[in-house]
Amino acid sequence: MTYVVEVPQILEERSFDQFAAGFAGVGDAPRVLVDAHAASWASPAGLIGLLCAGQALAARGGAKPLLTVPADREVTHYWTRAGFFAHAADLFEIHGSVPRVKPHPERNVLLEVTPVTVADDVHAVVGRIQERSAAILTSELGLDPKATMGFGMALSEACQNIVEHAGTGGWVAVQRYNWRTIGRKVVVIAVADAGVGFRHTLEATQGNRFGDRWGDATALEAALIQGVSRFRDPGRGQGLAGIRRYLGRWHGKISIRSGTARIAIIPDWERDDEPLRDGLPPFPGAQVQLVVPEVEREAR
Amino acid sequence: MINEIDLKDVLARSVGSLHRDLVTRSTGAKVRSSIEEALTGRPADDPVVLNFSAVRVLDCSCADEVVAKLLLEHAVGAEGRAVCFVIRGLTETHAEEIDHVLRRRRLALVAEEVGERPRLLGEVTPEAAAAWDVLADRGGAGEEEIASALALPPLEARNALEALVGAGVVRRSEGRYLPLTAA
Repeated sequence: MTYVVEVPQILEERSFDQFAAGFAGVGDAPRVLVDAHAASWASPAGLIGLLCAGQALAARGGAKPLLTVPADREVTHYWTRAGFFAHAADLFEIHGSVPRVKPHPERNVLLEVTPVTVADDVHAVVGRIQERSAAILTSELGLDPKATMGFGMALSEACQNIVEHAGTGGWVAVQRYNWRTIGRKVVVIAVADAGVGFRHTLEATQGNRFGDRWGDATALEAALIQGVSRFRDPGRGQGLAGIRRYLGRWHGKISIRSGTARIAIIPDWERDDEPLRDGLPPFPGAQVQLVVPEVEREAR
Repeated sequence: MINEIDLKDVLARSVGSLHRDLVTRSTGAKVRSSIEEALTGRPADDPVVLNFSAVRVLDCSCADEVVAKLLLEHAVGAEGRAVCFVIRGLTETHAEEIDHVLRRRRLALVAEEVGERPRLLGEVTPEAAAAWDVLADRGGAGEEEIASALALPPLEARNALEALVGAGVVRRSEGRYLPLTAA
């Protein structure tokens, strides 16, 4: 029997738990169908979240999971141009017509869905995006030119979490779009993997310190708020701290979902989010999202 | 003689000539190893200038791996040969990253741009930081001058200056303390 995981019509950070809840029910089902036919939009975090689901299903062995493509042709085109299907084809048996267009950076796609496994991948990603992000951050988002160097740093550190801790490969995607709740443009970096997750990574060095409280939420707090790492070297664990500094300066937002918890550092402009949520539907690995907003017009 | 190591050349030797970004720990380890090779055979007395002017992006992990670990390995009393470093060609963003990684390990380093007053990155005590400011403004000073300028008891002034010497950012010369500079 085929188990169906429905992809929400709008797949982004908020609706991801709905997708994760469906995914959590897969169990030992011999055949899984990820059904995206009704999808009308997916954020970069949503797209690479789908790939993570495929990665986790592939790791079980057995039959390749199925993926139905969105019925809306424009959506399928956009996902193709964003580089999604080039990687989905390795993980899923794809049902539906995928347009034959090459992935390429378009106006809103600063970095198409790109695999990250080793340090050289991080170099390549930072090198490719630097000039394009500089133009968009300064001319479209109105940020000071200094913001572009820090952007490369934040992107690099987010990707390195995969290389250093995931125990598997992952993906990164960067897009520019409008954040509906504030009516401003944002640039979003999404990085995700289906690896071991924060709790497992930190358990050996931090688990005892937290005792019975140890879990996905405390692991996220330890990593993002306290800046701890699995290494005893005091120089380690600086990556997320560097990202926080950067986003703090430019009024950005970071959120990380891992296992059954999600943590976020929420700027003033985001009125509808919670700093820490626990007891969410489980999902493998870690999903990191960084949001850099446009400078308010009157502040320019 | 100025012992200058251009990070552009080091990056080219370590990870390829097209790279301008100092990112990832593994790249940092390769770059540090390449700098170590370049240090071989250089006179120990003169400070070594690390020129970052060709570097575009610098991330925290790489800054820690290159700069902080280099200082740790070549600090006075460390296993490696004692070497003093001065850093040059930094953007404000680079300087912030390096400052943070040095603070995390309680290290300090002189950053010096041509025609500008040298400045300290990283962490020293407040008294040592104040003493540094006087030294950098005057180009050097004796213990008594520092005590007078900062209204400190002589012993505290000396401790502050010796802390700067220990951090590898100041040298003693003929009874005076001189800020480490590349010139």
